[in-house]
Amino acid sequence: MRRGGWITAGVAATVVAAVLGAGFVVQRSVLPMPKEESLVALRAATWLQRHRLVESSFTVNGGATVTSSCLQDWFVVDGKRSRGALLRADDGYVLFAVPPHTLLARGAQGVESSSPLVLLELAGCPRVLVRRLDTLAQERQGLTLANGRLGFVLKGTHITLTLDTSSGAPTAVAVTSAKASGRARIRFVSLTPAVQRKLSTGLSGLHALNGVSGP
Amino acid sequence: MATLEHAGPGPIELSRARTGARRLRLLAWIGAWWLGGRAVVVATAVAVHYLGPAGWIRHVSHATLLGPLDAWDGRWYRIVAGGGYLLVPGRQSDPAFFPLFPVLLRALHATGIGLGTAGIVVANVGFLAALIVFYLLSRELFDEGMARRATVYLAIFPFGYTFSMVYPESIVLALIAGAALTGMRGRWGIAAAAAAAAALARPEGLFVALPLAVLAWQQRRVLTPARRGLAVGAVLAPLAAIGSFSLYLGQVLGDPMAWSQAQKAWGRQFSLFGVFHAVGHLGRAVSLDAWVIRDVVAVVLYLALLFVAARARVPWPWLLAGLAIVALPLFSGSFDSVSRFGLLAPPIFWGLAALGQDPRLNRAIVAVSIPLLAGAMVALPLQFP
Repeated sequence: MRRGGWITAGVAATVVAAVLGAGFVVQRSVLPMPKEESLVALRAATWLQRHRLVESSFTVNGGATVTSSCLQDWFVVDGKRSRGALLRADDGYVLFAVPPHTLLARGAQGVESSSPLVLLELAGCPRVLVRRLDTLAQERQGLTLANGRLGFVLKGTHITLTLDTSSGAPTAVAVTSAKASGRARIRFVSLTPAVQRKLSTGLSGLHALNGVSGP
Repeated sequence: MATLEHAGPGPIELSRARTGARRLRLLAWIGAWWLGGRAVVVATAVAVHYLGPAGWIRHVSHATLLGPLDAWDGRWYRIVAGGGYLLVPGRQSDPAFFPLFPVLLRALHATGIGLGTAGIVVANVGFLAALIVFYLLSRELFDEGMARRATVYLAIFPFGYTFSMVYPESIVLALIAGAALTGMRGRWGIAAAAAAAAALARPEGLFVALPLAVLAWQQRRVLTPARRGLAVGAVLAPLAAIGSFSLYLGQVLGDPMAWSQAQKAWGRQFSLFGVFHAVGHLGRAVSLDAWVIRDVVAVVLYLALLFVAARARVPWPWLLAGLAIVALPLFSGSFDSVSRFGLLAPPIFWGLAALGQDPRLNRAIVAVSIPLLAGAMVALPLQFP
């Protein structure tokens, strides 16, 4: 290449580098960084989103410890496939929730008196928590972060997620509402077809909680 | 003995004074059309505030007098300006919105103005600048009549209510026209800055590289090696600007392609067969939301105007850039928002100006555009632009 060609290439490269650099510096210096609590909430939401099965050991209003599995899956309701949550507790309680109109339950007196939302939250049902976390992170409001605990409000319940310090994964849930308070330790479990079948069968005998339809 | 000081203004001074007066008259003329067009938009926005329709825009957008101008994507630009970028995987999130406009909102916000008001100010002042630069570019490419008609049509174009909203379109149009104008005049450093800024505000800014590349090629023999380098740099500047956005997102969010990820969540996933999907599924799209027809009409109108522009000898790089701006979104499988995207294609307005050479057509275009502009503004709460 002749000298003129080198000059042309050099100046062009300088312009490209200047645009890259100046563009970056302007964005970095003018636009605010996302809030720490928003980033932490999104990391927690990502953990929840990656798993369709969560096991939980929880107590409500100081009662006995209940172990539960919450399956987040597609269900056929009124002939339509919809996403919902199926909660099975070791005391025989079953809660089946498919937004917006299906909320059915069957089972023991122990946890049945608690609000379905509180139970779904304590069971770590992923989609219930993910949607709220995503929304609040995106709105940049309604999230508090202190000592590895992420707090937020969901339909009148105050939720505190305890997060693993290294991975950011939720490990515990505390829920407080006007009528109930509870604590839970949660862990994510790999969902196998066998477990999925086992959890999804035997849904007959569920009764509507809000005068709603069933599967 | 008489001295030069006593001889009154010389021919140079007279010529300068005449040029100054001509410029002032021109600015007043463009300003009047800007004011007239924006008055229609603002008055209609106020009417929508008081009388509705309520539509789909948030209650908060109906709460203030000019709230409708702040609706839809305006909220996303305000979120970025107020809280920075955040990628929410699998959900519609803000890295789909390019950074220059939020940067400008934030800069103005620093003077104490609210982000929504800052957005409306930037967009409308930006549109005045766009009209001026677009007129100058049009005059450079065509004759005075064509430039004037194209500028008038742009000022009152029915889909042009977006130029008054908290959207970056007016700024991008000003920068695209500015990049080309300065490139034509051999001021390649400014052209590079304008082209880069255009791409940093909307991805469509990338297409200004096409006319710039042809201009640089045409000027290659008269430019010194260093200025040739500036010209090549100006052609590459839009790509580098998008690269700077990726660099920033990589540093802040850990994902340099976060903007592309977010675009996918907004339904902007491009594929070779996307256009067939868009056309093939049109019936279903219309049954779900009849407003799609608005954008289909816009696509047909824009393509027809590009055809007219081609017959009126609008330079082919501009036609190609215009075609890319109108047709490429269809490859994402949807007609959504093409009516707005087309506003960034200058040859569309040159095509319209070519039609308007006939005085009757000229009067008809003006007479139809103004009520359509008001009508489109009334429909704003019902469908995103």
